[in-house]
Amino acid sequence: MQRSTLSDVTYNWIVGLLAGLGILILVAPVIIVIATSFTTSQTLRFPPPDLSLRWYRELFDPVRSAPIHTAAWNSVWVAFVATVVGAVLSVLAALAITRVSRPSARLLEASFLSPLILPSLSYGLAALMFFSVLGIRPSLNLLIAGHLVVIAPFVFRTTLASLTQLDPALLEASANLGASRFYGFRRITLPLIAPGIAAGCFLAFISSMDNVPVSLFLSNARTGMLPIRMWGMMESTLDVRIAAIAGVLILATLLLMIVMDRLTGLTKRMSA
Amino acid sequence: MLPRSETGLATAQPLTLDGITHSYGGGLAVDNVTLEVKGGEFVALLGPSGCGKTTLLRIVAGFIEQGNGKIIIGDRPIDTLPPSKREIGIVFQNYALFPHMTVTQNIAYGLAARGESRKLQEERVAEMLAIVQLETLADRKPRQLSGGQQQRVALARALAIRPRILLLDEPFAALDKNLRLDMQIEIKRLQRQFALTAIMVTHDQDEAMAIADRIAVMSQGRIEQLGTPVQIYDEPASLFVNGFIGSSNLLAGTVEAATAEGYRVALSTSTSWTVPSRQNFAPGAPVLVSVRPEQMTLADEAGEGRFPVSLKLSLPIGGELIHDVTAPDGTSLKVAVPRRPGVASSRAETAFCALADHARPSLFAKP
Repeated sequence: MQRSTLSDVTYNWIVGLLAGLGILILVAPVIIVIATSFTTSQTLRFPPPDLSLRWYRELFDPVRSAPIHTAAWNSVWVAFVATVVGAVLSVLAALAITRVSRPSARLLEASFLSPLILPSLSYGLAALMFFSVLGIRPSLNLLIAGHLVVIAPFVFRTTLASLTQLDPALLEASANLGASRFYGFRRITLPLIAPGIAAGCFLAFISSMDNVPVSLFLSNARTGMLPIRMWGMMESTLDVRIAAIAGVLILATLLLMIVMDRLTGLTKRMSA
Repeated sequence: MLPRSETGLATAQPLTLDGITHSYGGGLAVDNVTLEVKGGEFVALLGPSGCGKTTLLRIVAGFIEQGNGKIIIGDRPIDTLPPSKREIGIVFQNYALFPHMTVTQNIAYGLAARGESRKLQEERVAEMLAIVQLETLADRKPRQLSGGQQQRVALARALAIRPRILLLDEPFAALDKNLRLDMQIEIKRLQRQFALTAIMVTHDQDEAMAIADRIAVMSQGRIEQLGTPVQIYDEPASLFVNGFIGSSNLLAGTVEAATAEGYRVALSTSTSWTVPSRQNFAPGAPVLVSVRPEQMTLADEAGEGRFPVSLKLSLPIGGELIHDVTAPDGTSLKVAVPRRPGVASSRAETAFCALADHARPSLFAKP
């Protein structure tokens, strides 16, 4: 073992300090909001004077929190349908694009990925204007269409990554052994890119769940979405139920992530 | 229906490549290759990378459609058939085993894809596992197997569909050196057992020599020479083949005269040798004489056909002693002689270099 010099020690200290600071900034707000959600007080104040499940009881009360429940189900439904439709479209697009090496394919790839970098606010406004020119009234289906554009690239990207990692010799082997193209797709391609698709779906679902910019423009009073609703509550009443909603969302995401990680090695994929 | 032998297997089918030509972009990758592989024969396509051997193999498999020419198995052209209908077994370079499937599922894949019954699949898999001696590893995934085991699975998978032709793409490149000989014997055994006509692509001459009945040495899209390993080694048809197969010494010289025994060549080392050749050379033509290191000897005294050399280095390689010697004109030569036990180097600083008995030098026009 080599003796560490003073500069090594300093280096380790500085890196450690920065890492600690980073973790603090990331984790501290989560801890604060969760702690606040268990407060007994009437206000969103930290630290809570005492702990209770009062606001969770309030949140799950079917009568008093009915608008929140509606908004939550709207959000889940929109996220679910947009993810499923987005996954189908993205997988088909990724399959086509990896098969073609023409420059036009690269152009399509870039344009399919562009919603990831295009400011969602601009897109939300553009979508609102576009749909009103077409005379389409705000509805859940419209929200699904709007979210679809923003979240499909997540699935597209992870699927594309899985497909480019797929050894082309596997499909040649499949064909050589007498399998049709579709048989090879079903038994070789799909199982091998499934983890990539699942990881993309997870990211897409989460991204739709907390999407504000698109929902802001495309929803109205009847099609309230959870993040918009939360923002409304925040502005008007400073209702502590917001903290409880945040707690539920964090818990749900955490559970979903653990399940996903078990199934597909999501964390490996996100860092890749 | 294919003819069947008493073992229940199809009898070996000849494979004919007729004037295959293929180009990528501007360059010719395969240039008018015609090759007849007899039923049950094992032919190696040998050549450096970029010589077109892999392209040729992929054309036979149907992964590339050739620009010109015909492929015929038995008496049936297969050019219009997709890869899935050609009934050709392939062992891919890195085996291309399906990573998410077990050994059993890998072997059964071709049968399942053809919609064979579950019972037949099970029987065939059990049979193949026994043939490649992998019964105990049936439920493993490919990544849990060693390189040799993976290759056995690849072979079993290719043979499970009872192909008419077996193609092998650099089959031993990924194996440890001491495992190669075992697998070469194994593949040869299976090829005989299944009465398969086989083509192997390789850049390794030792592999080709060990396993092939005939070798087609390729260069720049063309077959430079087709012959048995012995023919290729002893009578290289061109300077390229001569240089690519084995090691050899090249001595520059000039043809003096044609005699009954061959051409008398005046060497640049101030001696003259008589070298037989099938090619025609005019007196005065500049030539290169190629001699294998083991077809040369070192003598202590001067004599006819001998020239003096100075000894630079001696390497004891197994049973041979390789001498690195230099002739007065600067030509560097390697001479391989049997090594007597206990001897590690030569005795003298200078010696006289000569052709060994039964040496068969080759004569090439100087390029």
